[in-house]
Amino acid sequence: MDKLIKLAEKCCEKVEVYSLDEHLNRINFENGRLKEIETSIQSGVALRIIKDNKLGFAYTKNLQDREGLIENALNSLKGGVQAEFDFPETKNLPELKSYDESIEELSNETVVKECERVVKKISERSKGQVNITAIIDYFKIRILNSSGTDVATRISNYYLRTSLLFPNSYASIERILQDRKFVHTPDDYIDYIVDTYNRSSKEVSPPGGRMKVLFLPETLYVLLWRIAYATSAESIYRNASPAVNKIGKKIFHEDFTLINDPLNEDFGPARAFDDEATPTQMLPIIENGVLKNFYYDLNYAQKMNKKSSGNGFKTGRWESEKIAIKPGPALEHLFITPGKASFSEILSSIDQGIIVAGALGAHSGNIPNGDFSIGLAPGLYVKDGRIVGRLKDAMVAGNIYEVLQNVIAVENRVYPGMVGYFPAILFDNVNVASR
Amino acid sequence: MFETLKNIGIKVDADYFDIRYEKKSETKIIFDGKELTQLTSNSTDGYVLRVLKDGGLASIAFTRFEEAEKAIKQVLENARLIAKNSQKKVVLAPVEVKKERFIPHLNQDPRKLSIDEKLELTRRYNEIPLRVKKIATTHIGYLEVSREKYFISSEGAEIAEELVTTRINGTITSRDGNLIQTVRVGIGGSDGFGRLRNQDEHFEKKTSIALQLLRAEPIPAGNYNVILNQSMAGVFTHEAFGHFSEADLIEDNPTMREKMKLNAQLGSEILNIKDDPTIPHQLGFYKYDDEGVEAKPTQLLKNGVLVGRLHSRRTATVFGEPPNGHCVAEDFRYAPIIRMGTIFIEPDRFTLDQLLEELGDGYYIIDAKGGQTSGENFTFGAQYGYVVKKGKLGSMVRDINISGNLYKTLMNISMIGNDLELCQIGGCGKGQLNIRSCNGSPHILIKDVVIGGI
Repeated sequence: MDKLIKLAEKCCEKVEVYSLDEHLNRINFENGRLKEIETSIQSGVALRIIKDNKLGFAYTKNLQDREGLIENALNSLKGGVQAEFDFPETKNLPELKSYDESIEELSNETVVKECERVVKKISERSKGQVNITAIIDYFKIRILNSSGTDVATRISNYYLRTSLLFPNSYASIERILQDRKFVHTPDDYIDYIVDTYNRSSKEVSPPGGRMKVLFLPETLYVLLWRIAYATSAESIYRNASPAVNKIGKKIFHEDFTLINDPLNEDFGPARAFDDEATPTQMLPIIENGVLKNFYYDLNYAQKMNKKSSGNGFKTGRWESEKIAIKPGPALEHLFITPGKASFSEILSSIDQGIIVAGALGAHSGNIPNGDFSIGLAPGLYVKDGRIVGRLKDAMVAGNIYEVLQNVIAVENRVYPGMVGYFPAILFDNVNVASR
Repeated sequence: MFETLKNIGIKVDADYFDIRYEKKSETKIIFDGKELTQLTSNSTDGYVLRVLKDGGLASIAFTRFEEAEKAIKQVLENARLIAKNSQKKVVLAPVEVKKERFIPHLNQDPRKLSIDEKLELTRRYNEIPLRVKKIATTHIGYLEVSREKYFISSEGAEIAEELVTTRINGTITSRDGNLIQTVRVGIGGSDGFGRLRNQDEHFEKKTSIALQLLRAEPIPAGNYNVILNQSMAGVFTHEAFGHFSEADLIEDNPTMREKMKLNAQLGSEILNIKDDPTIPHQLGFYKYDDEGVEAKPTQLLKNGVLVGRLHSRRTATVFGEPPNGHCVAEDFRYAPIIRMGTIFIEPDRFTLDQLLEELGDGYYIIDAKGGQTSGENFTFGAQYGYVVKKGKLGSMVRDINISGNLYKTLMNISMIGNDLELCQIGGCGKGQLNIRSCNGSPHILIKDVVIGGI
């Protein structure tokens, strides 16, 4: 890498080299039995160069031919992709706890035994089918650039997702466990899954209409996806966001606070720098319902006369090969501030409503406009403070700029969800279509 | 390349192994609005090794040849662990051992064309919507993916195949005040660059739809009779039905497996569904899957009765059904999984006008916008539609999301058109992305569908 940057600096004004080495084991249990173990050992190097304010980008899995990689990046300059930003000079980053070396010694056998234990505990109390995905993942990122930056980090991640499936479907009650190292699955994790499942065993067909709707930590991503779209510097720059000119304005209910905090070691893999080596920061997106910040990478920050907020990440829409993706504005460390009520208190406050325990089609609504229209897989029906069954053939639909004004309660605990940690949130007056 | 793979294989002490090496080249050109935001051309490579040991089947993906020994050790350990902890021993269904180098015929090999030509064509199509007031932005890109695959197995298979996929696709976003509407655009396929030329009309039509959507009314939530166009019906076939023809998805789900028994009457008698990756000149074409098995056309539903399903060699044994070459990987980072190739509803004899007349009152729903299934239940979105009254098309509607029960909906298909169309852009995300996943259908009439509205 050091040789590569020296070589590239000979022909370009600005150079950045990003390298990633990753080791990942995925263990799948289906119907209570071990089905698959897949291992992936991947590495790669990505190169960005800037010459005459034009950007070149290239990547490779095997750094055997340095000249070839530079040649590729030079070729990509020809298209004339504008880039007037500088790579940052980053030093003296805080030391974050994001890696636990025990992960490298963690055997698949230990995790398989733990999955078997979880299956057994659930099966003692429930007839449903148990599926588990466990992931043992560790990786190293190093970024060098022509401004003198040389930063590196190691991340370790243990992840366990348990799903208890309803008959005839993949609709399930599920919960995620995430840590830097292997941890035993706590009893309350198992109790939540089993108790919620058992209460929803009956199929019900209540009438549709407007009612209270509770999104769980596992399904809140449906709404957050639309907020992330609206507050990205890219959407603002392209005039494709309803949040343009709304900074400082109250757009959601005052009980709703959403921050992005890569520096918090307790909630997900902490990062002191983003994938462009910009130092990260705690960034409030929505504070008590007020829109506080958009989030930026180097490219859009420069175009919009702002500073990067340390949100330049190699995150694709569907792609998972980080090496092949250019950094862009992304929220990877979301956190919703918990409220005052416990889950059972929230539940008992619902006279009539739906719990969104699984969502289908979060990607298919009009995301720029903030619309969502999701199938429930499953939806749990709540009557007089109790879960009385589950719905099929039902949809929940709305627009985040209306629904998020109608927050009734925010749970007092957070759980891992998609790219963050969230409580359950209860909304009033949401449209439910049912057969 | 086969020799290199054999040198790895020689060190594998297993009952069966296969090794796939792939070189993947990718050219990407992206416009966001007027601005070119990416132009890259790169290649990457890697290996996937699968071993069967004592009845345990495991896989490992690795990047460098030097890592092979470490990979062999790890994958054998995984296979033994599976064998020890699983009650079912894996047995691969016997297949014909093939030795072939297969290079598909392309109408203009994109690898031989200059990047400038690709850039100019993409720019031209991108400018079509941007010329129009009220188009806020576009995200339109050219993607070319070519995979050179080399496969050997301990049974003696030696197969090389090339898959070249090209497309120009993305979104057009219109805006009027706070109302933002987006439509998808896309042309592409797997038989060369030629099919991307002279497609201005497609981009003009979609631009017009994006503008009309600003004046369309949201569809009210409720239950309706609907006609789905080819794209919508194709996605329905893929999402709602197709995934449960994939044996691995139902293998370990006893209740779904019971429902999806062969000879079960799942749909109305007029419904025939097939998966056929061997049809030439369509997106989903391939000759061999990533287990070295030759792809075969597979009838799934015949007169509404389930008569077949899609298999890997492993699941073919589990179900006691013939393998049909449907086990495919995204690229060198993954072991193969069961995928649809080209799934479609077979055409009947009716025209769209006849379907509209039969519908009477309801909605005509057009062009898919992604879907998802949880087994019995599915949800998928449409880009736009029209009110239909007494068989006549009325005003445009937007915000259409459909939800339903698979088995009820298959039974409620009451009329099928004569105008089969297969999609040009794929993208199925079952764990891995499959950009060649192809689906299609003629127009179909379905009774009593739930629409979510907003």
